Amino acid sequence: MPFGRGERTDMVLVIAEQRDGVLNNASWEALVAAQQMGGPVRVAVAGADLGAVGTELAAADVESVLTVDHPDLAAYTPDGFVAAFAAVVADAAPDLVFLAHTYQTREFAPRLAARLGRPFIADCVGVGSRNDRPAFVRPMFQGKFVADVAPTGPAPHFVSFQIGAFRPDALKRGAAPAPVAAFPVTIEPGTIRQEVEAPFQEAKQAVDLTQAERIVAVGRGIKGQEHLKIVESLAAALGAEVAASRPICDSGWLPMDRQIGSSGQTVAPKLYLALGISGAIQHLVGMKGSRTIVAVNKDAEAPIFEVADYGIVGDLFDVVPAIIAALDA
Amino acid sequence: MERETLEVDVLVVGGGPAGLSAAIRLARLQQQEGGDPLAVAVLEKSRQSGSHMLSGAVLDPSGLDALLPDWKERGAPVETPVRDDRIYYLTAKSRFRAPITPPPLRNHGNYVISLNRFVRWLAEQAEAEGVDVFTGFAGTEVLYEGDRVVGVRTGDRGLDKEGRPKGAFEPGVDIRAAVTIFADGVRGNLTKSLVRRHGLDAAAPQTYAIGIKELWQIPPEREAPGTVVHTLGYPLRHEEFGGGFIYVLPEGRVAIGLVVGLDYRDPRFDPHMAFQRFKQHPLVAGLLAGGEMTRYGAKALPEGGWYAIPRCHLDGALIVGDAAGFLNSMRLKGIHLAMHSGIHAADAAFAAVRAGDVSAAQLVRYRELINHGGIRRELYPVRNVHQAFGAGLAAGTAVAGLAWLTNGRWPARPLSSEPGHERLASLAGYYPGGPADPDTPSNAVKVDRALTFDKLTNVHYSGTRHDEDQPVHLLVRDTDICRTRCREEYGNPCVRFCPANVYEMVDDGTGNGRRLQINASNCVHCKTCDIMDPYQIIDWVPPEGGGGPEYEGM
Repeated sequence: MPFGRGERTDMVLVIAEQRDGVLNNASWEALVAAQQMGGPVRVAVAGADLGAVGTELAAADVESVLTVDHPDLAAYTPDGFVAAFAAVVADAAPDLVFLAHTYQTREFAPRLAARLGRPFIADCVGVGSRNDRPAFVRPMFQGKFVADVAPTGPAPHFVSFQIGAFRPDALKRGAAPAPVAAFPVTIEPGTIRQEVEAPFQEAKQAVDLTQAERIVAVGRGIKGQEHLKIVESLAAALGAEVAASRPICDSGWLPMDRQIGSSGQTVAPKLYLALGISGAIQHLVGMKGSRTIVAVNKDAEAPIFEVADYGIVGDLFDVVPAIIAALDA
Repeated sequence: MERETLEVDVLVVGGGPAGLSAAIRLARLQQQEGGDPLAVAVLEKSRQSGSHMLSGAVLDPSGLDALLPDWKERGAPVETPVRDDRIYYLTAKSRFRAPITPPPLRNHGNYVISLNRFVRWLAEQAEAEGVDVFTGFAGTEVLYEGDRVVGVRTGDRGLDKEGRPKGAFEPGVDIRAAVTIFADGVRGNLTKSLVRRHGLDAAAPQTYAIGIKELWQIPPEREAPGTVVHTLGYPLRHEEFGGGFIYVLPEGRVAIGLVVGLDYRDPRFDPHMAFQRFKQHPLVAGLLAGGEMTRYGAKALPEGGWYAIPRCHLDGALIVGDAAGFLNSMRLKGIHLAMHSGIHAADAAFAAVRAGDVSAAQLVRYRELINHGGIRRELYPVRNVHQAFGAGLAAGTAVAGLAWLTNGRWPARPLSSEPGHERLASLAGYYPGGPADPDTPSNAVKVDRALTFDKLTNVHYSGTRHDEDQPVHLLVRDTDICRTRCREEYGNPCVRFCPANVYEMVDDGTGNGRRLQINASNCVHCKTCDIMDPYQIIDWVPPEGGGGPEYEGM
């Protein structure tokens, strides 16, 4: 199907990500970023048996959904995805290609951009404009500065967005489902040089904190592993996930996949409750995008209070039981 | 376990100025002389070339002139000539400008550079000459045939905290070479093992300093690019050797740093705190007011000079750059000497490979080139200066002056020297008046997170990153000493001399003591702990390749 091109505004192609028929939440965030550009938006997704995923994506206010269905794409491989999306991008001729900055994107998107000889601006946190051209906001120097990066040269330009930079609930839904079209691809034998083995999980209880709506995070103020119980009760009362700052996971009190910060997860839940966390910058960069931050700390000068919306100066061993009691009441 | 093997003619371990100069020189020799193709590979532990490079830096371009005379046409990032050169002696509140800049510190003809950018550019030149630069791979073990060095083994990737293979485990690769050039930097882990195994020790033990540096962004009109300021005195006392520097780069970028000899006596002294005090001095605070700190880093430097350089040639191997100690501490410069040593090593290695003889008897050519060239001419006359500073600032200045006046004829023999860590006094010895709080630095300042920072915040701006789930790369042979003897005798000085908050003494949970906690992923690869630990029980080994600081623009 030949795609027309908008006369004035840039057309954005969003590459969504799915696994076993389940869409990655961050793909909605990339769609929100695309909608903010104000021009036509299309979305493409690759895999096998994509019927349900296509229908799900069609609910968004987009021009069309492309499903790139092929048995060789059932399991993700960088070679397979580069080949498939190179064909999609060549055919759709978008001005911009947006992706969520997932692990998968980190692997195949640079190769895809290099294959097409186009720039890739990775891990952006916002969209804007510079001299009437789109520009993308990108943190530099560990978040000390943000730079507006304006791509130059022939289109398309590839851009990926940090998880949590846009809110999936800001997605504009269409009045009617968008048309879903299958994009036929041929994958020549020998294209895929990787052999896919059965997926394995490094951690026993892998948890994806980036998808949590509420997080109760605990830091050194908890003093001992045996005190984690009260944090877990508070999390249960709030329907929240438990997370921690580095020292807690480093001591092995909580698994590493619950660590928030520069060497752990970056999260942006609706509620982030920080208990006994001083707020080292390494932790702040992983949670400062949260909508509401509540901090409990004994030290009134702790840097966590600089980012908190609500702060309680006090001992978490007094404050937490009181919150639990209030929630139970 | 299956291990891959790669064969090259010359392997360079370490992609800094010395290693890359050696690699470029080898490639060019091959082009000039012709003959069989020469396979040259460089191993570099950082993710990208230049990422672990930290220096002031003022570059004496003589090494670059010798290596790539057309460096200007090649677009070397060497663009800011030194235009103004000042020295101050500081007291807590005042400054005294030296009426003349002593000749060793005159920087006419030199350039203020970012070593990170310079080395990244050097790596590009090397790759353009056909050298394979493998970034993200650290050498962890020297390979031998008998006593002859035949290459190195790179580190395993994908081990978990307990050293068990994770899903993506890849064993290290054996890289075999006719000649291996060790350019693994100050206190390099492989050079350390070579010196031990082959007894390469020099006439005097190597002495070191730690350099701590920040990059700031200030209003560009405040100070002209190319301004170079060195300071003596405050925040250091007479018993501490070192000084501060301010180097102004274009566009309002300023490098601020403090170098402190790792032979201080006070066990409660904290070099990072001294650096905070340096920034609080009116001379520095005025320059930085309203600016922003954008980068942080720390690195040890070898200061022992000529007599501390070990034998640098052995069967199948050569040692170059900071790993060997080619640094002129009186001029505060080592990049050019590193480059010259790399060039000499390449010349010796090339001749050896072509002659089919890589024995020490053939590679001794390297020593001859050093002895007859600029390196000895520069280092020999100042061979006793650092040792004299061990006796205090006044004595050091006097010897430095005499050495310069007599062109090095006096003093003639090595002054006595001892490894820096042996000068560290015990708490009881340094504070005879009574028990000193082992947990508070004697030079503590309260940080304001605008001009002064705590170590943890600073570490963030070093960009350092390591996979958390990997074996700890700081091997402490006996952590019992930490909570018992060291706590008592020195008050755990590692907590203070580490500039990156790697070492912490935390409550051991039993309520009656403390235990050592190693935050290995904070490590900025400065090597200070390996050097300064009073019991010499810390071994720094490379973490998984690619981990470490990101000194972009430093």
